[in-house]
Amino acid sequence: MGPDPRELDDEIRGHLALSIQERIERGDDPAAARLAALKEFGNVTLTRDSMRSVWRPHWFTAVDALGRDVRFALRSLLRAKGLTATVVVTLALGIGANAAIFSVVRGVLLRPLVNRDEDRLVYIRQTAPGVGFDNMTFSMPEIADLKARAKTISAFGDFSTVDFTLIGLTAEPRIVKAGVVSGSFFEVMGLRPVLGRLLNAGDDGPKAAGAAVLTYRFWTASLGSDRSVLGRTIRLGPLTATVVGVLEPSVPYPADTEIIANVVTSPHHLGATMVQGRTHRMTELFGRLAPGASLEATRGELTSLHDAIKREHPEAYSAKANVQLTVSRLRDQIAAPARTILLLLLGAAAVVFVIACSNVANLILARSIRRESELTVRAALGAGKGALRRTLLAESLVLCGAGALLGAILARPLVALIARFASRFSIRALEVTVDPSLLWVAVGLAMIAAVLLAYVPRLPPLDYGSGRSEQRRRASAPGPGGFALSSGSVRITASTNRRLRVFATMQIAFSFVLLAAAGMLITTLVSMQRASSGFNTRQVLALDVPPPATGVGGAATLEFYERATRRISQLPGVNGVSTGAVVPWRDAGALGPGTKFGAEGYTPADGEENPTARIRPVGAGFFNVLGVPVVAGREFNDSDRAKSEPVSIVNQSLAQRLFPNGEALNRKVWFIDGYFAKTPLRVVGVVADVDDEHVVRGSAMTVYVPVPQIGLATRLFVNTSGDPYSIVPSVTRIIRELSPEQPVARPATLEDVRSEVLSPERVNAVVLSGFAAIALLIAVVGVAGVLAFTVSARTREFGVRLAIGSTPRHLLMRVLSEGTATVAIGIVAGAVAAYAFSRIGMSVFGSVPTPGPLPLAGAALVLIGAAIVASMMPAARASRVDLVQALRSE
Amino acid sequence: MAKSSPEDRRLELLQGTLDMLVLRILQWGPQHGHGIGQAIRTQTDDLLKVETGSLYPALHRLEKRGWLKATWATSEANQRAKYYRLTAAGQAQLTRERDKWSQLVDAIGRIMNPAPASKE
Repeated sequence: MGPDPRELDDEIRGHLALSIQERIERGDDPAAARLAALKEFGNVTLTRDSMRSVWRPHWFTAVDALGRDVRFALRSLLRAKGLTATVVVTLALGIGANAAIFSVVRGVLLRPLVNRDEDRLVYIRQTAPGVGFDNMTFSMPEIADLKARAKTISAFGDFSTVDFTLIGLTAEPRIVKAGVVSGSFFEVMGLRPVLGRLLNAGDDGPKAAGAAVLTYRFWTASLGSDRSVLGRTIRLGPLTATVVGVLEPSVPYPADTEIIANVVTSPHHLGATMVQGRTHRMTELFGRLAPGASLEATRGELTSLHDAIKREHPEAYSAKANVQLTVSRLRDQIAAPARTILLLLLGAAAVVFVIACSNVANLILARSIRRESELTVRAALGAGKGALRRTLLAESLVLCGAGALLGAILARPLVALIARFASRFSIRALEVTVDPSLLWVAVGLAMIAAVLLAYVPRLPPLDYGSGRSEQRRRASAPGPGGFALSSGSVRITASTNRRLRVFATMQIAFSFVLLAAAGMLITTLVSMQRASSGFNTRQVLALDVPPPATGVGGAATLEFYERATRRISQLPGVNGVSTGAVVPWRDAGALGPGTKFGAEGYTPADGEENPTARIRPVGAGFFNVLGVPVVAGREFNDSDRAKSEPVSIVNQSLAQRLFPNGEALNRKVWFIDGYFAKTPLRVVGVVADVDDEHVVRGSAMTVYVPVPQIGLATRLFVNTSGDPYSIVPSVTRIIRELSPEQPVARPATLEDVRSEVLSPERVNAVVLSGFAAIALLIAVVGVAGVLAFTVSARTREFGVRLAIGSTPRHLLMRVLSEGTATVAIGIVAGAVAAYAFSRIGMSVFGSVPTPGPLPLAGAALVLIGAAIVASMMPAARASRVDLVQALRSE
Repeated sequence: MAKSSPEDRRLELLQGTLDMLVLRILQWGPQHGHGIGQAIRTQTDDLLKVETGSLYPALHRLEKRGWLKATWATSEANQRAKYYRLTAAGQAQLTRERDKWSQLVDAIGRIMNPAPASKE
């Protein structure tokens, strides 16, 4: 827009020509005339620029000015390559970490589910905080009661998790995690099929044909999206079902299931125990809010209904268990396990960002002090305060822009990493992808950093004429003992020095917080891994061997396990084989919270309820195979048959608590639960405490019963002398020989099971340690930078000190101690901050683990060590100051 | 910017009056930038001198607003120059500014030199 630039030049040239001509006509000498004309015209470039800018919109002028500033910034930053690289990398770490974490947080916690009207979808749960049971699930009678009475829920969907042996879809028979649902489930969940149909009311009841829906992930990952699966007949355990459809991709909850089938596929679901047993709980419950009902209203109604149900059936809800009902949005429920850890990571990332920014601020501050003379010259040449700030802003924009770019590049692989990590807590993390929001976060953070950084440096005083400001400057300058000694062109005032130190201290403080937190996770992890479990963890191999799909129940099943056990124990290198119902830790919670029991010779005190114990069906020789000492009596053997005398083994905690005088042997115990009919079981042995629910051993009371008499063994334990895994092929072969379609799954030593169970803790520790390491690195660079800078600014001071008798050693120690002092102050500040954070955390999360003395001391030690390393180089430089040069330098 | 010129007689141009002066000069006919500057100077006996740094941007501003129209022509001294001519809109603008100016002079005059016999 506007005239051609050449035209502007022509116009000016014309003006000058006329002006010169006129002067010559007046009698001037041509050379003098030319000079006079030019002088009269003034600044040609400026005039031409303002002529041109008339034709341009205002924003163009502003952008143009900024562009010029940015070009200038680029040039001046390229001259300071080391600083630029440090700043950009530091910012990239801070921005990248935040952008990545934010992407995951957004994907896991905030993004809506694919389900229709997902904000009307709620998850209802029964908990028993009194016995530490956070998901008690529901029984059919409880669901029926709620369905009949609730008005704020328009429809309920129920879902029970079942393990099926699946035959007919995959090459090998396999154990699949399956859901058994009523016909209303998919309608309530608001999901659609991608192939075929889903289950509906027609699939309900005992007369319906078996029907199964495959989940999208199972269909794509294990079946290669084979469309011909539709209509195929599969075997689910002893029964058959037809594949009727494939579900759209959706978040599987409450379990990562592969198949969802109708009720008829699970005979158990149609049995009397399931339909009538109020305490036979195994079903999860979902609901859709009725039109107009709010979550709060529903919560209120269901809670009061639940209270009424509890009053009507006091026998099913013990006061001690303190059974509660909770209602939450499904989306929140799915995100809940990941929320704490993700918020923790977000906090850690924010801390890293603060550290990065304060480090960069320090570098910029130091640079601006070196540039003070340049800024002063520019101010003297007429640059206003605004123009100077704009220069600084342009520079920090360039730095932060580069940092954001690099950060976004770093963030991409980080997102994948963190998502994989977070998928241990919430299945939704698996669908997290890198999206443009990540870039926006990076850009936003960069902008914040840029503006902050532009206001960090002090501008040189601009009103040189005014004596008052000069006086004020002097007044604020340090008195004796300050650091205002100037050397060469670098002038460092007390206030600048204070700022540098505040930033350095801040970095140390925040690094300390992160280090202490990481240390806490690591010590917890180590103590969990080191905790003695009471099991022989290294030599025992555990395998999942579900009952044969063909031979239905009863004696035949028992015989299958007995024959398998006998044949495996004859393999070379096998010390013993036994069966059980749960693999320690891996199957934690599978058998519920425990059952009330009574014991001969033990009367609960008045008002006290009967005690609760875990029931564990185990095979003959179980304790010997798992390395658990039998303290008194004997363990189960082959003579404990289905028809022989009902017996039991109790653990030491139970024996000591109920029979403090050691007379537990030969007493009778019985379970108070309809299923067990109060059969008295004679105690034949007492075994040491082990805990198959928690990695850190508790002392829960446990009653062991022989598999032939009660329950079902689905886990095989093999004690070997060689490499436990080398036995797996032989074991599988033996089992297939006995029952050809038998899956043998998840072979692992107890040691590896424990590692696997602890892996979320391990990943937590690793990720947080990563953050702490980044923070530490940045903080060390920061402290070293500040010290190096102050040392270079104090050359003269050191010269004076040397002149009056200090030795280089003195100077070295002095700088070292200054560095260490900064860090020490930082550590104290960090400890205070950590305390404050844990208080805040307490108010947000309820309870927060606090680090013991070991991680705190460790973190402090690491930082002090880092401080000494960081101070070493500047200190050495200080001690090598050349006396004569130092004194001449001013 | 306060700059003490060696020619003490010279006056500072009042803010906002340059446009009006340019329009007024061009009423006599098309003129190039140098000529306009000279005209202001000679017509005020050197009391007013317009800096080229202000004059040329002002000319372009007026041209952009449509009050002036520019054409390239060869000057009397055989020099190619950009000649500015008043448009009809420029003429109207000059009238407006002139009215405002006389009102302002009148108003300021009443305060600075109150007429002694202005009783009612």
